[in-house]
Parts: sequence; C-alpha cells; structure tokens
Amino acid sequence: MAVSPDENAQSQRLADGLHLGYRFVADPDLAVTRRYGLIHARGGPRGGDVPRPATVLLDRDGIVRWVSLSRNYQVRPDPRDVVRAVRAL
Amino acid sequence: MTPGRLATLSLLICAVTIATYSLLLGVPAVRNHPEGYVAAFAIAATVAGLGVALRRRWYGWLTLGVAVLLLTLGAYTNFVMARIPDAPMVLRLGEPAPDFTLTDAAGRPTSLADYRGKKPVLLVFYRGYW
Repeated sequence: MAVSPDENAQSQRLADGLHLGYRFVADPDLAVTRRYGLIHARGGPRGGDVPRPATVLLDRDGIVRWVSLSRNYQVRPDPRDVVRAVRAL
Repeated sequence: MTPGRLATLSLLICAVTIATYSLLLGVPAVRNHPEGYVAAFAIAATVAGLGVALRRRWYGWLTLGVAVLLLTLGAYTNFVMARIPDAPMVLRLGEPAPDFTLTDAAGRPTSLADYRGKKPVLLVFYRGYW
C-alpha cells in the first residue's frame, strides 16, 4: 500500500501511468505520516513539511518487521532488499 | 593529450554523466549512488583544469566553467538540498504499527486493521509531487 501526500486523482494517474498494481491512499494533511515519524521538516516547496521516502514492512499481525529510511531524498530501497525482507517473514 | 582533446573529454564526461543519471534512474545501483554524479563532475572539472594549465585557450576556460558549474550544482543538490535531517524514530521493530484509516482512489476508506491477521503489508511512503 502506498501512502502519498498527493490527492488521490494525481496518485491514480501515477499508478495508471506506471502500471502499479498496489493501492494508493491519500494523506494530504500528513497526519498518518507524522504519526509514523516520517516527516522531512521544511523539505517541501515554500518551506512546508513533506514525507521522507520510507518503506515499512508489517507482518500478518501488524508488527513492524523491517524499515527502510532514506537520509537523502534521491535514494530509495533496492527492490531486492525489500523482497528479501518479505521472504524473511 | 592536447588542450582541445582534454576539453572534449571533459564535456564528454559531463554529457555521459547527465545521460546515465537521467536515463538509468530506475536502476537502483545508479539511483542510490547520487554521489557518483558529483564524483564524475569533479573528474570532468579536473580534466578541463589540466587543459587550461597546458594552454590557456578560450574553449578550455569555457569547458572548465561548465564542469565547475555542474560540480557546484551537483554537490549542492546531493549534499545540501537532498539531505534529510535526522528525526526521532517513532517506529520500533517488533512493535505494532499505529493503525490508520485513509481513503483510496475509489473513495473507499482503507484501514491497516483490515489486514491484521490476514496478510503482511508493505507500506511505501511517497514523497509526492505536491
């Protein structure tokens, strides 16, 4: 599931364009992102807060099993590492 | 090597770097090593500098200017602009993730709790396009 600060319509266009099979949910006021501690303070346009790129793996019971946090917004987890974490569940 | 060849080589390194980074952004090895483009621009600037040191020609200075400008922009982007300051870690491994309900593209409310006891969930937090 992808959590995005964008409006749903915009996320849908992205999902359609890239043929992404997963669900996008909108967190426009960043309430959930903030609760998860995944804010890049003043990282957005006009000094606003934006999400920091992050990937969180939860097991069947909703327990956090793996987290990937980037310290540079150009960097994302390697898909092979994500697959490895899912397989290790 | 002649100053002309050094200037050409410097420009070539810059062009190949820009092309590689923009065309291969989907390749994790390229995308996840942004310091690579900074290093490549530094090499280009050194090569152009060598050319100017050999003979002070206008094209040598121009090439050096281009390489130094790209190096400055690249270093600023990677080391200053793209750096995310450390924040207190809220999520703890081995502890439950906070529940939430958000709306998906079809307008359906989606709760994390819907998946509990059924299947694992991979949450990807997007930076967004604002």
